[in-house]
Amino acid sequence: MSAVPAWLRSVRVLTGLAIVLTVALLALLAPLIAPHDPNEQNLLTTFLPPAWAQGGDIAYPLGTDSLGRCTLSRLIYGARIAMTVAIVASFGAMIIGAVLAHVAGYFGGAADWLIGRMVDVWMSFPPVILSLILMVGLGTGLRNVILAIVLVDWTRFCRVLRSEVLVVTRRDYVPAARLLGFSHWRTITREILPATLPLLITLISLEMGIAVIVEAILSFVGMSVGATTPAWGQMIADARQYIYDSPWNLLFPILMIFVTVLGFNVLGDGLRLTLDVRLTETQRA
Amino acid sequence: MILQARNLTVSANLDGERVPVLRDLSFTLDAGKVLGLVGESGAGKSMVGRAIAQLLPPRFGVSDGTLEFDGKDLVRMRAEARRVLLGREIAFIPQEPLSALNPVLTIGAQFDEHLAHIGVPARTRRERMLDALDAVHLQGADQLLTRYPHQLSGGMCQRVLIAFAFASHPKLVIADEPTTALDATIQARIMRLIAEMQERENTAILFISHDLRLAAQVCDDILVLYAGRSAEYGPAREVFSRPGHPYTRCLQLANPGIHKRRGLYALPDRMPGLRAYAGIRGCPFAPRCPLAIVQCTLVPPPFGEVGADHLAACIRAERTAEISAPTSSPHEDHAKDTPILEVSALTKRFSTGGFRRSEVRAVSNVSFILRENEFVGIVGESGSGKSTLARLIVGLETSSEGSLTIAGRNMDGSREADGHCRRHVQMVFQDPQSALNPRRRVASIVTQPLEVNGDATWEERLARAGLLLSEIGLPPEAAARFPAQLSGGQRQRVNIARALCAVPRILIADEIVSGLDMSVQAQLLNLLAALRRERHFSMLFISHDLSVVRYLCDRVLVMYRGEVVESGAAEQVFAAPAHEYTRTLLAAVPPDDPNEMWSGLRA
Repeated sequence: MSAVPAWLRSVRVLTGLAIVLTVALLALLAPLIAPHDPNEQNLLTTFLPPAWAQGGDIAYPLGTDSLGRCTLSRLIYGARIAMTVAIVASFGAMIIGAVLAHVAGYFGGAADWLIGRMVDVWMSFPPVILSLILMVGLGTGLRNVILAIVLVDWTRFCRVLRSEVLVVTRRDYVPAARLLGFSHWRTITREILPATLPLLITLISLEMGIAVIVEAILSFVGMSVGATTPAWGQMIADARQYIYDSPWNLLFPILMIFVTVLGFNVLGDGLRLTLDVRLTETQRA
Repeated sequence: MILQARNLTVSANLDGERVPVLRDLSFTLDAGKVLGLVGESGAGKSMVGRAIAQLLPPRFGVSDGTLEFDGKDLVRMRAEARRVLLGREIAFIPQEPLSALNPVLTIGAQFDEHLAHIGVPARTRRERMLDALDAVHLQGADQLLTRYPHQLSGGMCQRVLIAFAFASHPKLVIADEPTTALDATIQARIMRLIAEMQERENTAILFISHDLRLAAQVCDDILVLYAGRSAEYGPAREVFSRPGHPYTRCLQLANPGIHKRRGLYALPDRMPGLRAYAGIRGCPFAPRCPLAIVQCTLVPPPFGEVGADHLAACIRAERTAEISAPTSSPHEDHAKDTPILEVSALTKRFSTGGFRRSEVRAVSNVSFILRENEFVGIVGESGSGKSTLARLIVGLETSSEGSLTIAGRNMDGSREADGHCRRHVQMVFQDPQSALNPRRRVASIVTQPLEVNGDATWEERLARAGLLLSEIGLPPEAAARFPAQLSGGQRQRVNIARALCAVPRILIADEIVSGLDMSVQAQLLNLLAALRRERHFSMLFISHDLSVVRYLCDRVLVMYRGEVVESGAAEQVFAAPAHEYTRTLLAAVPPDDPNEMWSGLRA
C-alpha cells in the first residue's frame, strides 16, 4: 500500500478538486484578486467587451455591465455567495438527512416507517415550487436561501443513505458488535458510519453542485441576496435584458456556474468510483 | 472416448508474465463413466470445466496440449462450431442452482428457451419439458412450469437444472460442485439422480468436487489436482483406499469419519497463489508434505505408476501409507456436571404479515442443558430452526415462550440480564466475510470487546491482539492486515479470536466450518479442540455436517422443523439412532469406506 490514498490518484477526483479549489480560493481571496470594487459604477464605460475583443479595455479584463461595473470582479465576488451556499447548505442537508437515515435504517420498524413516509410526502412536492414557497414564507436573504435548500434537499440524503445503512446493518458484524456489548450509539458510529461515509462524501459533493444551481435560480428571480451583493444568478438576470447589446455579460456567469457545478460533479463521480467498497473491496485483496 | 486431454496447459497473462494455471493435465473420460476432479479451492478444478467451454477468464488461454471432445479439437475449434456443441452435446450443472436460473422468468419460459436453443420444434417442446421434469422426479410438472425460481427450494432448482442439462441427451455433462450449496440429505438425492440419469443416457460426467469421500463414492476415476497439476490419477476406490500421493492421503485424513472417531490430520498452511508456484522447480506440494525430503524441492516428481492404471506424482509414493492421523481425539471427558446454560420449553413464533396472518414456529418447545466445559452439537437441515435457537440464546431474538437460564441467572429481558448474557455468552457467526468489519484491521477486530468500556489504550489492545493471534495460530504480522487480505480460514480464526477476547463461558458457533476446504476445516476443528483444553468453555456447535459434530462434540441434539427429535451422547446417537429423521440424516452422509454401499445413494 502506498502513502497516497487511492482517491487522490484518480484523474476525476484531481480534476474536480482543482476546479473546486480554484473557485474556493477566488471566493476566499476576492478582495485581493478582484481588480475593482464589484459595486463600483463607471457610467462612462458601460457594456465594455472583454479585453481581447475589439474596443476592450485592459482595466476591465472581462468587460463591464450596463452600469459599468467590472464583470470579472463581480464574478469573483459572486463565487463567495456560491461557495457559502454550496458548503453550508449541503452540510445542513447532509446532517439532517444522514441522522434520520441512520435512525431509520438501523432501528427499522416504526422509526423507519415514520421517516420513510415523511420523505415520501416531502418528495411529492416539486422541489422548485417548494423552495419558492419557502422563500416567500421565510423572506429573502442568504440565510433563508440556505435554509430553503436544506429543507428541500435533506430527503435526497435520507433516501439514498437509508438503503445503504440497511445493507450494512444486515451484515453480521453489526449484531456481533452488539453482542460484544456495544451501545447503539457506538455501533452506529464505529461500525456503520465508516461504511456509509464514502457514500455520504459522494452525495455531499454532488449536493454542493445542486446548491450552486439552486442559489443561482433563486437569485435569478431576485429572492436571494440583495442587489448590493453580487451573485451569479443575479448577474444573469441583469444581463438578460441586454442580451443583444452585450452577450458576454450573460455568458460569463453561466460559464462560471457551469464550470463550478461540473467540478463538483466530476469530484463526486470520482469519489464514488474510488471510495465505494463494492467497487474496490475485491481489488484490495 | 468422449473427452480426452493431453498435456493440457492453461496459462494466465498476469502483467505480461505467463503463469501456468493448469499444467500438463492428461486424462480420458469414456461414455457412461464419471471422472472426478478433486482438490482444494484454487487447485484449478473449475478451470478445467471452463477450458472445455472455452469460458476462460480474460487473459487466460490454453497455451499447450490438446483437449478433444468426441474426436473434435475443442481448443482450435471455431466459436460457431463450439456454440453448436455447448448445451447440446456438452451440458453443465452449476454450483449455485438459484443464481443459475433467471429470477424473473418462469421455469417453463426458461426451459422453452433452452429447448429452442437445442433445436426442439415448438410443437413438441411442452411434451419434452413434462417428460424431462418427470425424469428428475419432480411432481406436478404442469404447475412447476408456471413457477418462478424463488418459489422453489434449492434442491428443486437443482433438479430443474439437471432436467435442463439432460434434455438434449448430451454426451458429456460437467457438474461443478453440484451439491455444495445444498443440504446433506438433498445432496444424496441429487447425486442419486445424476447417477440415474447418467445410466439411462450413458452420459459421461465430469464431476468437480472438493470432497474426496463423495467423489470416491460416485466416480469411476479420480484425478486429484494440486496447484494446477495432476497429483494422482486412477480408479476412484483405488485412489481412496490406497492413495499414492501424500496430498490425497492428507485430504482423506483431514475428513472426519462418520463411523469411527479418530484424530484429524490438518495440513499446515494453504496452497499458495499462482505466482508462487510458477517459480517452483520441484514438487509443488513439498512445503506442506510430511514426507518431503530435500530431493522433492529440486526435481519435479515424475507422474509414475503406483498400481494398475494408477498414477501419482510423488517420488516417495511407496511410503504414503505411513502418514497417519494423530491418535488423540478431542474427547477426554472434560465436561463437568454443573449446568451453565439451561433452556426449557423455548418457543419462537414468527407471524407473517398481511391480511391472512399465519404463524410459523421456528423453534418449538426446545429444552436442554449445556454443562460447563461441554461441547454440544446441534444438527439438522436448513430451516430446522438451529440458527434461530442460537439467536434466541444470545438475545438477538426474543422468545415467544419458555425460559433461558445462563450461569444461574434467568434471562428475563431486563437490562441487567442482557449485560449478564453479554459477559458470559459469545457467538461466532457463520460467514466471516460478513462478520468482520472490512474497514477495521485485524488487531482492532480481535480486541473489539475492549472498546466497550473505552479504557484500554491502543498499546494494551495491540498486546492483547498479539496474545490472541498466537493462540489462534496466526502470525503476529496479521494484526496490521485488513480482513480482505486474509484467506477464508484465517478470517474464520479472527472471527473466533474476537469471541474469545471477551473470555466467554459459552461459545455459540453457527456453521463456522461449512464452506471451507477440508484441510482448513481440519485445522479449525483441531484449533477448537486445543482451545477447549486451555480455555475451559462450553460450546454449542451448530452444523449440518454430522461427521464434524461427531468429531468435536460430546453430546448432540437433532433438530427437525423446530423441535429436538433426538438427543444424547454423540457416540450413541450416531451408532444407534433412535429417531427416523436421525437415520435419514446419517444415511445421507457418504460412508468412510467407498466399498461400502452408500444407503443414501441407493435408497
